[in-house]
Amino acid sequence: MRSAGAAIAWEFRRRHRWGLLAMMAYPLGLAILRLSVRRVLIDDELSFALVVAVPLTATFLYFVSVFSFGLSGDLSARRSIYPARMFTLPVTNSALAAWPMVYGAAAMTILWAVTRMLALWPSGVEVPVIWPALLAASLLAWTQALTWMPYALPGLRVVITVLWLAAIDAIVMLALNFKAGELVMLAILAPHVPLAFLAARYAIARARRGDEPDWRPMFIRLERIAFPRRREHFRSPARAQTWLEWRQHGRSLPALVTIVLPFELALLFLFRETPALVYEMLIIVLTTPPLMAIFAAATVSGSTMTRFIATRPLTSASLIAAKLKVTIWSTLAAWLLVLVVTPVALKLSRTWPLVIERLHRLAEIVGAPHTALAVLLVFVALLAATWKQLVQSLYIGMSGRDWLIKGSVFVTLSLLGVVVPVAHWLIANKRLIAMLWNAGGWILAILLCLKLAAAASIAIRLYDRRLLTDRALVLAALLWSGTVFAIYGVLAWTFPEVLIRRYVLVLIAIVAVPLARLSAAPLALAWNRHR
Amino acid sequence: MSEFVIAVSELTRRFGAKTALASVTLSLPRGAVYGLVGANGAGKTTLIKHILGLLRAQEGSVRIFGHDPVADPVAVLSRVGYLSEENDIPGWMRVEELIRYSRAFYPAWDDAYAEELRKMFALDPVAKVKSLSKGQKARAGLLIALAHRPELLVLDEPSSGLDPIVRRDILGAVIRSVAEEGRTVLFSSHLLEEVEQVADHVTMISGGRIVVSAPLDEIKESHRVDGRVPTLDEIFIAHAASAASEA
Repeated sequence: MRSAGAAIAWEFRRRHRWGLLAMMAYPLGLAILRLSVRRVLIDDELSFALVVAVPLTATFLYFVSVFSFGLSGDLSARRSIYPARMFTLPVTNSALAAWPMVYGAAAMTILWAVTRMLALWPSGVEVPVIWPALLAASLLAWTQALTWMPYALPGLRVVITVLWLAAIDAIVMLALNFKAGELVMLAILAPHVPLAFLAARYAIARARRGDEPDWRPMFIRLERIAFPRRREHFRSPARAQTWLEWRQHGRSLPALVTIVLPFELALLFLFRETPALVYEMLIIVLTTPPLMAIFAAATVSGSTMTRFIATRPLTSASLIAAKLKVTIWSTLAAWLLVLVVTPVALKLSRTWPLVIERLHRLAEIVGAPHTALAVLLVFVALLAATWKQLVQSLYIGMSGRDWLIKGSVFVTLSLLGVVVPVAHWLIANKRLIAMLWNAGGWILAILLCLKLAAAASIAIRLYDRRLLTDRALVLAALLWSGTVFAIYGVLAWTFPEVLIRRYVLVLIAIVAVPLARLSAAPLALAWNRHR
Repeated sequence: MSEFVIAVSELTRRFGAKTALASVTLSLPRGAVYGLVGANGAGKTTLIKHILGLLRAQEGSVRIFGHDPVADPVAVLSRVGYLSEENDIPGWMRVEELIRYSRAFYPAWDDAYAEELRKMFALDPVAKVKSLSKGQKARAGLLIALAHRPELLVLDEPSSGLDPIVRRDILGAVIRSVAEEGRTVLFSSHLLEEVEQVADHVTMISGGRIVVSAPLDEIKESHRVDGRVPTLDEIFIAHAASAASEA
């Protein structure tokens, strides 16, 4: 190897050879399909989604994670995810930025060219020539630039990257909506790669010289003002651990909501003359905590089990209990922020009467008690959804196994690629919806059996390994049953029996309340702590 | 009450094809300093991780104060003070927060002793751990390992890469712990002259096997050449060379 470029290419090839080989199965599959089956097979959306859209999306996401070094870095950390060991190589910042970008862009171009050439496209579809490759390369280049940048707050990388990529996507969608041609699309996308390169070079230069801003002291000062520093001793090890968890991960969700909320609420001032947009903005504001919780969950569950923590004289169950307690505090803090700031923004933007009017109209239709209950239920559901997002993947993060964490991210993203087209196809197919509605009870019953089987198996292991005391197991079971009954009660009161049968509501309540994944967390932590 | 503080029996640990520990048997009674020496990758840290319950015994058994450290980590870790080379105290913590946090876990925590150690080590209570030098971080780790007056003090390469003053502090802590009746120290180090200064008993480990385990004086006597008592360094090098030739 005589050049830095060749060495970097070798590293990509060596480290990801199995993944890249697996990805090559996709064009091979397309080629086999093209040679062996007729066009008629691909003429419905589901077939197209399964054969083209899903594997293409999965391969794209894999390339993004490989060429941005996302598979080996901590996305939620403040420091750059560009491998620090490469900063000591005798090469320029431009070379460090350019080579992974060049290889990534080449991979994306080949991916699109192969897909375009080999896929069986639905009849009547005019397949674009170059711009999808340029879009993929641009999205990758921006992901690289933004993930290689050092940030002032943990988790900020994910938020900024997602928002920026969503903005690029929105521009492309808008252009497609106006039926922009190939040349226009190329003109829109062409500046992105060079701009992203400049951003990436700047990011690497900063990371290389250790220029890492830190806004945490500002938040800590604000917190100190709000919650003066405790000087007294902790009354128990569990309290000390909860304090540590709060300091390490608890503030991520409120901090993310604090960053995003002002931008969203600012739009209320812009769109105050358009009620429909005001309502949409309000929905976006209310879904911000659960959405941000998806990103914050990475910091809550993604932390490695350090020897310092692992050697504290505390049971694995107590370590998990501290984490769960902190996720509840985080959820409440984030929602407190939303509940305090949103009414103020509505008042100041003079959009408050629009919301009140909408509530009055609802009260006229269903009555005041039902309206109040509906508002309360929506709030409780959003609160529960936020907390659920924070804890549902805890067991994966707590396992501390890289292959499991990265594999689950890959599977989730791949599934998302399936869910969207399948949902789209389902909505269009009324017969199937009717069939599913009729079979809903059975589907729920199967899910229930799977859930209870998994929960029983986990409970047995927890008992055998003495990770939870008998009392804790019984208390957890009682708490879970109580929550299920409460949800069932609310559902039964809300939906008349003629609409949904009671047993279906019971099944919904049981399936909705987390059990197996949550109870797997202490097992996963013990598996990580005692390897 | 168990006779031995540490009782390891036929412990075997493999990482893939590599055998890190092969049928290791070791029993440490109370009230002495045990030096654990060996080359890099010999298995010292793997053995210490089993003692702390950070690794589960694949074969054989590990008992600390008669308890399995994996099944009952609280019973074991509340009586153990631990300091490692890889000192990973959260960098965001202030020294006073570290003391307050650690204090909660140990009923035997001695506030006066902790304050005495903090002053002796010149640790600023409001300084963040990440702003401390490597030596200061080691001292902070030593403070929380000692302030609850543990029955067993485990030091895993504590002085690697540290200056002589910090190394002196660590050795001082070992000597102090020994002075307190009934306490046991397991001290793993590359710096054999340090081990020689404080250890009563030395266990030499090579390729995952214990090659020598005996009181230090006995080891030295048994290696006497032409009336001259060799240093621990010389004995170690001789054993390493013999292990290499056997391999």
